[in-house]
Amino acid sequence: MSTPYYIPETNIPLPPVDADVISTACDYCIVACGYKIYRWPVKGGKVGGEKAEENAFDVDFPVDPLGPWVAPNQYNVVLHEGEPHHVIIIPDKDAEHVNPSGNSSIRGGAIAQKVYNPQTPTRDRLKSPMIRMFGVLMPVTWDFAMEIAAEVGKYVIKQHGENAYCVKTFSYGYMENTYAITKYALNSVNTANFTFHDTPSDVSSTPGFRDAGFDNFGPAYEDWRDAETLLVCGTDPYETKTILFTDWMMPGIQNGQKTIFMVPRKTGGIAYAEKNGGMWLDIQPGTDLLVVNAIARVIVENGWEDSDWIQKWVNNKWESSSGFGQGTRNTPWQWRTTWGKFQTAGFEDWKEWLLSQDEFAPEKAAEIAQVDVEKIYTAAEWMAKPKEDGSRPKTSVMIEKGFYWSNNTGNTQAISALGIIVGAGGRPGQVIGRAGGHQRGGLRGGKYPRNKSPEKLPGRRRRAMDTDRYLMSGHTRFAHVIGNTWIQSMCGTQSLAAKFNELTVENPHQIRSFDKQEIIDSLKRRVDSGGMVVVNQDIYLVDPIGARYADIVFPAAGWGEDTFTRANGERRVRLYPKFYDAPGEAKPDWWIIARLAREMGYSGFDWKNSNEVLEEGSRFSRGSRKDFHMVKVVAQREGKTLHDKLAEFGTNGIQGPVLLQDDGTLVGTKRLHDTERKLPVDGPSGSNRLGKKLTHFNSQTGKCNIQKSPWSLFSDYWAWLKPKDDELWVTSGRINERWQSGYDDRRRPYIVQRWPENWVEIHPDDAEARGIENGDYVLMYSDRIPVQKDTIIGVEGDDFQFTKLMEHGHIELTQGAITAVAIVTPAVKKGLLYMDFLHTAQPANALSGRVVDWISGNYNYKMGVGRIRKIGTSPYKTSYRSMSFARRDIA
Amino acid sequence: MTKDQKPLDPALIDAINGPKDVAKTGKRCLMNRRQFLLTSGITTFTVMVALKAGPSAAKVPAVVSTYERKFIGKLSELKEDEPLDFTYPDEGAYAESMLVKLGREAGGGIGPDKDVVAFNYTCTHQGGPLQGTYKSEDKVLGPCPLHLTTFDLTRHGIFISGQAYQSLPQVLLEVDGDDIYAVGMFGLIYGRYDNLKG
Repeated sequence: MSTPYYIPETNIPLPPVDADVISTACDYCIVACGYKIYRWPVKGGKVGGEKAEENAFDVDFPVDPLGPWVAPNQYNVVLHEGEPHHVIIIPDKDAEHVNPSGNSSIRGGAIAQKVYNPQTPTRDRLKSPMIRMFGVLMPVTWDFAMEIAAEVGKYVIKQHGENAYCVKTFSYGYMENTYAITKYALNSVNTANFTFHDTPSDVSSTPGFRDAGFDNFGPAYEDWRDAETLLVCGTDPYETKTILFTDWMMPGIQNGQKTIFMVPRKTGGIAYAEKNGGMWLDIQPGTDLLVVNAIARVIVENGWEDSDWIQKWVNNKWESSSGFGQGTRNTPWQWRTTWGKFQTAGFEDWKEWLLSQDEFAPEKAAEIAQVDVEKIYTAAEWMAKPKEDGSRPKTSVMIEKGFYWSNNTGNTQAISALGIIVGAGGRPGQVIGRAGGHQRGGLRGGKYPRNKSPEKLPGRRRRAMDTDRYLMSGHTRFAHVIGNTWIQSMCGTQSLAAKFNELTVENPHQIRSFDKQEIIDSLKRRVDSGGMVVVNQDIYLVDPIGARYADIVFPAAGWGEDTFTRANGERRVRLYPKFYDAPGEAKPDWWIIARLAREMGYSGFDWKNSNEVLEEGSRFSRGSRKDFHMVKVVAQREGKTLHDKLAEFGTNGIQGPVLLQDDGTLVGTKRLHDTERKLPVDGPSGSNRLGKKLTHFNSQTGKCNIQKSPWSLFSDYWAWLKPKDDELWVTSGRINERWQSGYDDRRRPYIVQRWPENWVEIHPDDAEARGIENGDYVLMYSDRIPVQKDTIIGVEGDDFQFTKLMEHGHIELTQGAITAVAIVTPAVKKGLLYMDFLHTAQPANALSGRVVDWISGNYNYKMGVGRIRKIGTSPYKTSYRSMSFARRDIA
Repeated sequence: MTKDQKPLDPALIDAINGPKDVAKTGKRCLMNRRQFLLTSGITTFTVMVALKAGPSAAKVPAVVSTYERKFIGKLSELKEDEPLDFTYPDEGAYAESMLVKLGREAGGGIGPDKDVVAFNYTCTHQGGPLQGTYKSEDKVLGPCPLHLTTFDLTRHGIFISGQAYQSLPQVLLEVDGDDIYAVGMFGLIYGRYDNLKG
C-alpha cells in the first residue's frame, strides 16, 4: 500500500524517435479512451530530446495545451521480454473517436502507475500460486496448486452437486477471460451457483429497459452531445466517466443543451451544468420513481407527448401480447407481468393508470422526494413542450446506478415510459441508455442453467440463484472467486463476512501438512463437515476474500500483460495488446481456467494463446450488442489472426454489431435501435446477422412496451427504511479519483495523498447538530440492517413483498458499523450521508440492506440508513499534506 | 511553435487564453509564449526539504533542481486574497505563477501567519490557464476552463475535483525580512519535461 507522502517529480525522460508505439485503451471506466504506449529500452541510456526531431511525439517541448505532455505519473519502468524498458503512457493525441482531443481523466491519465514495478507500491502484486498451510499463504508451483484445487473441486461436485461449486467472477475483465470463465462455470461445471461481481444473481441490471425493449448501451457518445434536453438520473458523468462529460456533454451544454441531473449530491459536472442553464433535481434516495412519473404526468396532462412516435413505436394490447414459444411469453417481461402489475394495453391504458395514482401528482411527489415542485414542471417543459414553431425538443435520457440501484425494477420501468413518451430511443440525439460503469468485456461461453436454481417466484419461471443467500444457508462448499472483492461489494457486508469466516477459518479442518494428499483430504473433510473451500484468483491479495479466507490463491495477469479485447459504452470493440511481462508466475485468467479445467477432466480448453480463445468465442457474440464475429470472418479471409485484424483498427476500434458489406469491407453500428438506419434491402449475406435491435427495439414486434411502474411494490420497504429519529440516509457512489475498490489507486501516492482513507460527506446542518467538523473521525452505525434469509418458493403474488417477508420471519435485523473522515459540505442534500462505494476496509455497503429487489433479484445498494457520531479527530484536520476539505462543486 | 500538432479550435484558444481582463494587463497569451531561456549546467540532486512549517516539521528527501533565487514581492504589501502575478523559474512558456496571502494557514505557507503561498498558473491536466480563477472563499484555483479541475491552495495545490495528473506545482518561498523570494518548485510544470528547460 502507498502512503500519503507524495513527492512530485520535476522532470521525466522523453521517448526517443525510435521508441515502440503501441495503441491501446484505458483499463478503467466505460468510456475507454484511446491511449498510446511509448516503450524503449533502458539499456543504452537513450532518451529523446526537446526538439521535435529528437522525440517520438515529433513535437517541440514545451508543448501546447492539449499536447503530448508527460506528467511524472505517466512514466514508469517495466520488464519487456526480460529487459527493463521505459514506458510512457498518455492518451492518444491522434484518436478520432471517444477522446478525440487526446483528453483523459485522472484515472486513465495515471495508468502508467498501474503497471508492475517492484520499486513502486505495486510491488505486492501476486506473483506465484499459494496454498494456505499452517494458516499462512505459501508460494507453491502451479502444478501443486492446480492438482489440489481440481481434486477438491471434483469431489465437491460429486458429493454435494454442481450447485455446491460457486463461481463469483468479474463480468468485464476482457472477452478472452470471461469467455473461458463462463465456458467453465456454466458449460463444464454447469452450476447455477454463478454470478458476477456486482450482483448476487445473474440477472438483468435494468429490468425496465429490458421490458421496454431498450438496450443498455444503444446510444453513441455523440447522442449525449446532440440532445437538446438531457435527463441524467443517478450519476454525474464528470465524476465517474469523465470524458463522456468533458468531450461529449460539455460541448452540448456549451451549445445550449438543458441538462437535468436527478441525484441527491452535487458535483463538478452538475455545478457546471447549473451555471450554464441546467438544473439539479435534488431528490432524496429512493424517490426517483415518483419524480419521474410526476414529470410524465405533467407532460401528458399538457398533451406534450410525442404522439407520432408513440403511434408508430409503442405496442398496443394485441402487439404486446403477441408471440408464442420464444416470443414475449417466454421472457422475464412475461413472467413478471403475470400479475398484471406492469403490463398495459398501450399508451392510453398507461396514461389512465398514471393519472389515477395520487402519489404522482407533482405536489405530492415533490413533497415525498423533498424537491421544489417547480423543478418537476420545468423538467417536463424542457423535456417535452413543443417549441414555438411546433417542433419538439430533442430529448435523451441517461441512467446509472444511483438510479437503478435505488428501486431497481420500479425506477427502470418508470424511466422507460418517460423516455418513450418524449420520443427518446431511436434517433440521433434522442436516445435512452445507461451511462455505464465498467467496460463491456463479457462473452458468454455457456448458458446459465436457470432450471437448477432454487429461486422460484410466484409466476411461471425460476430466477437465477441468489449466491449470497445460498452461501449464507451453508450450501456453497467451494467458492471460486475471480477478480472481485465479493464481500464488501455486496450489501449487509459485515454479516456476510461473518458467515465466510465461520465456513472457512472457524472450520476445524485446516491444512496442517505439506503433503499434497493430506492437504486434499483435510479440505474434503472441511466441505463434508459443512464448511467451504475458497479459491481466489486476482492480481492483488484482496482482504478478506484472499488474505483471510482463501485456501488457494492463483496470481492473475491483467491489462498490458496479455493481449485482450473489450468494448466500451458505445459498443466500440478494441484490442488491448500485451506490452510488458506479467510479474513472476502470474497468468491471464483464461490460462488459469483452462489449466484448471483440464485438470478437472473437461475438454475444450486447449488454447495456446488469448487469440485462440477469442477466435473460438467470436461466434457467441453474434446477435449481441458487440457482435464482432464478422471481424473474424474477414481476418480468416485475409490470412490474419482475429487479434491482428482488431489491431488494425487501433484506438478507434469498430462499433458492434459489426456487419460485413458485399464489397468485403466491415462496417460498424453507430447506435442501436437506429430507426433511421437503412440496412441492405436483400437482407443479410454470408454469416452476417441483421438483428432486430439494429433498427428496431428488443421486443417481439420491434416496438416498445410502455409499462406501469407502481410505487406500492417498493413503498413499504422505503417507508420502513426511511431514517427515523436521528438516523440519516447512507448512500454511496463512485468518486472520480478512485476506480472500483481502489486496487490500483491505493498504490498511487498521488491519489492516496488525496484520499488516504474512507470519507463521508455530510450537510452542514446535520454536522452542526451532531458536533461534527471537517476532518473529524466519525462512526456510522445501525442496528437495523435488514437481511433477507431463507430461499423460499413463492406461491402467493406478494410473498416476496418486503412486508410479507417481514411478517413471515424471513428478514433478520443485523448490526453494522464503519468509520470515515467527515467532510462537511452543502453539496449533499440535508438528511443524507454520501461516501465512496467500495473502500475495502470501510465498506459503505455494510449499512445497505441485504434485501433484493423482489422482481429482479438485484440489490438496491444505494439504500442505506444509519446514525453518525464523532469518535475523534483525524490527522488530516490539522495537517496539510493529505486530503482536502474544499467543496467539490465549485463552478 | 510546435510541429504536427493539430490546429486548435478558435473557441478553445479563447478559453486557453483566459479571461479578457488578464489579456488586457498585457500579459502574454499562452498560445504566444515561446521564449526559451537558454540554460546550461543545470544539475539535479537530492536535498532535505521541510514539507510543512513549524517546529514539528519533518525533513524528507526531495528531488530539487537548482533554481534561481528570485525576489517576488514584499510581505507588507500583500493584501489578503489579492493574487500577485510573477514568472518563475524563468521567463519561458508556462512560467506564469501567482503569489497569494490566503488569510488562512496553508501547507508551505510563509509569513507570520504561514498563509502566503505561490503556485504555477497552468493546469497540470491539459495545460489550461488558471489565471483569474482564484476563489477567495474556498482558497481555490479553478475550475480550469478546459476540463474543470480545481486546486486547493491550502494543501500544496492538491486537486479538489477534476483530472489533473499531479498537484499544481508549488513555488517554494523564503522570507528575508520583508522580502519574499522564490527558491524552487515542487512538481513538474505543464508542457515541460524538466522545470528548468522552459
